[in-house]
Amino acid sequence: MSKGKYVLSLWLFSLLMVFLGTNNVYAQSSSFKDNIYPVGKLKPRDSVLTLKAGDKAPDFTLPAVDGGTITLSQYRGKKNVVISFVPAAWTPVCSDQWPGYNIAHDLFVKNDAVLLGITVDNIPTLYSWTKQMCNPGEKLWFPVLSDFYPHGAVASKYGVLRSNGVSERALFVIDKHGVIRHTDVHDINQRPPLDELATALEKLNQ
Amino acid sequence: MSRPHPGHKIRKAHSGIVLFILILLFSFGCVSSETKSSSIIAPTKPSPPKTTLPVFEFPVPQNAWEKNYLGVSGPGNFKVTQINSPVLIIEVFNMYCPHCQRSAPFVNDLFQTIQGRTDLKQKIKIIGIGIGNSPYEVDLFKNKYGIPFPLFPDQDSSISKMLRASSTPTFIGAKINRDGTAEQFYFKSGELTDAANFLSEILNLSGLKQEDKQ
Repeated sequence: MSKGKYVLSLWLFSLLMVFLGTNNVYAQSSSFKDNIYPVGKLKPRDSVLTLKAGDKAPDFTLPAVDGGTITLSQYRGKKNVVISFVPAAWTPVCSDQWPGYNIAHDLFVKNDAVLLGITVDNIPTLYSWTKQMCNPGEKLWFPVLSDFYPHGAVASKYGVLRSNGVSERALFVIDKHGVIRHTDVHDINQRPPLDELATALEKLNQ
Repeated sequence: MSRPHPGHKIRKAHSGIVLFILILLFSFGCVSSETKSSSIIAPTKPSPPKTTLPVFEFPVPQNAWEKNYLGVSGPGNFKVTQINSPVLIIEVFNMYCPHCQRSAPFVNDLFQTIQGRTDLKQKIKIIGIGIGNSPYEVDLFKNKYGIPFPLFPDQDSSISKMLRASSTPTFIGAKINRDGTAEQFYFKSGELTDAANFLSEILNLSGLKQEDKQ
């Protein structure tokens, strides 16, 4: 096989693999009707994580959908913190990950933890999107923060900003001393099982 | 000896490329139909009846009440068609889906209504299948909403795919025949907000209502 033909075949094969992998999210909630933008299969990870368990969690202050701002260090000495970065509003997987956390409040309370949800979207977008996750008149029990401007600055600080400007689907578990105890930069196409987060939270109290 | 025509090599290369593109297009076609089936669909009417329910298995529950409710025993797996009820309602849910969360109290109402009617409690049983959910996630959903009927995880979504439940929640009604087959008579996706209406639809479409009249 000539070199050119070999390269062409390789290219076509890669393309084929990408198309074949576009159906990994089988079912979606009817809650969002047809408002979820189909992103297809994405590169599982597209950033380099610079933080690891044992590192001090970089501090940040971000605006919250409910108004005001949240600073990570405000929980120092008081609560364990779980940070859930999700890539973008109105996309598959992200649109059901937080509704799941919304019914797992007891898990966080039991482990003396708060949850901070972060995306690079702006506040109005996050407001509309998170409203779809709850019963009318209700809201998510945890703060949702906007890392919109300067764009993705916190995601970048945590080493989870992808090259196209959205964040990874990543979880950081931070103890009351502000030390990172668990990281999970998950395949962006898949939802992290709640079991793993529960195990990481339980380890904080051992 | 005749030399091959200079275009021969090129034609050969082209035919290889064309074949590859054909494979690519064929695969693309398959994928697009798959993707279509995974998009959000919320049919407003139950699907036309009389399709065969695929037979799938779950582990026999540990819980004695659930075993008794389903009429299954022993270790290992049981087939869905072994459930001792002429009519089976299957809810395909996802712990993470807000509409499944909102529907949970109504499905509980449905279960309580059926259990409260002596003419129905042995004739209609309900199970839930947690699409893409781990056992931990299914348990969390069960405990959060106090769901009394048996729930089973379908972590790799294989059973939900067999059932063609691509949107959650999806409700399926099936008649279980004595020969170990089952006929699907109801299929509807979307939030459940009226247990009485739903039960009435199930009674009508399953034929249980006519049986009552006879």
